[in-house]
Amino acid sequence: MVCMGNMDWEQLELNPRIIAAVKKALQVHRGECPSLEPGHKLSLACPVLDALLRGGVPLSGITELAGESSAGKTQFGLQLCLSVQYPLAYGGLNSGAVYICTEDSFPIKRLRQLITQQARLRPELPQALIRSIRFSDNIYIEHAADLGALQACVSQRVPILLSRGLVRLVVVDSVAALFRSEFQADEGIERARHMLAFAATLHRLSHNYSTPVLCINQVTDVMDGPDPAHCNFGLVDNKVLPALGMAWANQVMVRLMLLRLPGCVGIGEQGGTSAPRRLEVVFAPHLPRASCLCGVWEEGVRGLPNRPRSVTKRLETTGELGLNDGT
Amino acid sequence: MQREVSSYAIAPSVKVKLLNAGFLSAADLCDLRPLQLSKEACISQEEAVEVLQAVRCELGQERAAAGRLTALELLGREQELGTIVTFCSALDMALGGGMPVGKTTEVCGAPGVGKTQLCIQLSVDVQIPVCFGGLGGKSLYIDTEGSFLVQRAVDLAQAAVEHCGLLAEDSEQQEALKGFTVETILSNLFLVRCHDYVELLAETYLLADFLAQHPGVRLVVIDSIAFSFRHDFDDLSQRTRLLNGLAQRLIQMATNHNVAVILTNQMTTKVWSGQSKLVPALGESWGHAATQRLILHWEGTHRLASLYKSPSQREATVPYQITGQGFRDAPPSDQPKASDDPSVRQSGSLSKRPRMEEDQSTRT
Repeated sequence: MVCMGNMDWEQLELNPRIIAAVKKALQVHRGECPSLEPGHKLSLACPVLDALLRGGVPLSGITELAGESSAGKTQFGLQLCLSVQYPLAYGGLNSGAVYICTEDSFPIKRLRQLITQQARLRPELPQALIRSIRFSDNIYIEHAADLGALQACVSQRVPILLSRGLVRLVVVDSVAALFRSEFQADEGIERARHMLAFAATLHRLSHNYSTPVLCINQVTDVMDGPDPAHCNFGLVDNKVLPALGMAWANQVMVRLMLLRLPGCVGIGEQGGTSAPRRLEVVFAPHLPRASCLCGVWEEGVRGLPNRPRSVTKRLETTGELGLNDGT
Repeated sequence: MQREVSSYAIAPSVKVKLLNAGFLSAADLCDLRPLQLSKEACISQEEAVEVLQAVRCELGQERAAAGRLTALELLGREQELGTIVTFCSALDMALGGGMPVGKTTEVCGAPGVGKTQLCIQLSVDVQIPVCFGGLGGKSLYIDTEGSFLVQRAVDLAQAAVEHCGLLAEDSEQQEALKGFTVETILSNLFLVRCHDYVELLAETYLLADFLAQHPGVRLVVIDSIAFSFRHDFDDLSQRTRLLNGLAQRLIQMATNHNVAVILTNQMTTKVWSGQSKLVPALGESWGHAATQRLILHWEGTHRLASLYKSPSQREATVPYQITGQGFRDAPPSDQPKASDDPSVRQSGSLSKRPRMEEDQSTRT
């Protein structure tokens, strides 16, 4: 096999690179390795949500947000597309975003509404700064109607945007749609192969360009009774789990779930109410299992500053939501 | 040595050609030049080079085998090597003190169950000073997934330093504590990022040099093997060959340099006879690669660690949890059935190890 010969050759070429690549964790911690930026994350534009995620979305690796329809996943995606455009000092990455739609068309009206309301969502930022950014100019929208188009988009067009420094956020809304529709129930292996190839491309982009990747995912119903083939990640009380199974779960670094709850919440006297949602951390290498309540308002998604709740305590009745007064 | 050609790790098609040309054992091959071999067996020159490398490498190793050891000498050596605690006393007990140095251990589990947490915990615990019962060694962390976040390592290091601070009694320990701080822990944790299987394999080839240059390293973590090896492979037999070669090199590394090697693996769904269940990834033959196998899994809301394969310890399942400070025992109130046998003997443990947790009543 040519492989062994290849190995020696590649070993020679990589030798200096590999030796140089051994870093001490202390150097990473101190920020001496720019390729492994230690603490920086992409802010979610809300202090409560940022606190849940210890800063925001990590700059490398795939972050997944799963939930039922109308839970608010697209709202998160849009909010991040705006948040990324602010300077580093304000939790952004000073660059644009590419939003890949696979299901519905891009919600352009909602984006415009969010842009006009940015000052209200981020009162801590200087007004002049907000006015100076041309938000819609920096968001690149891609549509992918099938898997071939999706893979082409991610391996050809997105790298160009990244290499030119035009974007530093990739949102895929949603991953589930195309993988679920194009494969039959018994084509599991074929589907897994495509998913792995797609995930590998995303990982490469994310690590090469230090770019957060947000993948929005659907959910599937959970069958009653224990199922040895499925891992429920310790979420025994959930009626739904993220779609696409173990093959996709293995590719995800941070898994979040968004669950829509009954009832109504409001924020003080600013008016407007929203159905509450619970944003839950299912797993992440640097986060504990926790959740917080949030709502979707005209200006965007805001976390509600109630005490974050530990998922393992079984307080799952509506009476425990701690709904605000004045609703 | 009269080792048969068919037993070497060579591509089957090449083996068939060699056997057809009349080369049955290693002795027939070792004195040939690549050009001669390729002409006689009708294989390409590159294949001939590979075959000769494989054969000569084995022969060289056999000749250089350092004398013969008695089992008693081996036992003595093993006991000297020590173990790395995991800070979960139930798991340490099941493992016979902790992760064994000089052996390879595989940790499998679904995403989010705690494999990376265990790896980071071990990378910190290996550095615990000798007077506290640790190894005072350094660690090398090979990250293929990008899931090593320094933030978390800092959390675990801080907790370990505090824990040792509480235990410090005599002046020797107080002195050692000065050299055991978050900063020194992080500076003794070497980190490598590998982006695909080629880089990972190259890194393992260079590992021997690295370990020779840094003799203080007692732990090598690869998190995870599965990630790089599960795509880009159309030829699964090539993957199996590469993985076998990798496993052999790691076992050699572990014994020659006295390091503990921890490998993490993912889980995959296996469907057969109408049923499906979760099994470790990378195939059946990979199951034989590591000396010990630990499977982390969920049972309801509890996390359990099962020791599935071990040459010296009994199979056991113990509960654990992941806290803000890292990998720990599960809280005593809601422990499910833990089927570890309290009469498990702990191998050796000669050094003065003060009790890290109170309830180790079965220590001999």
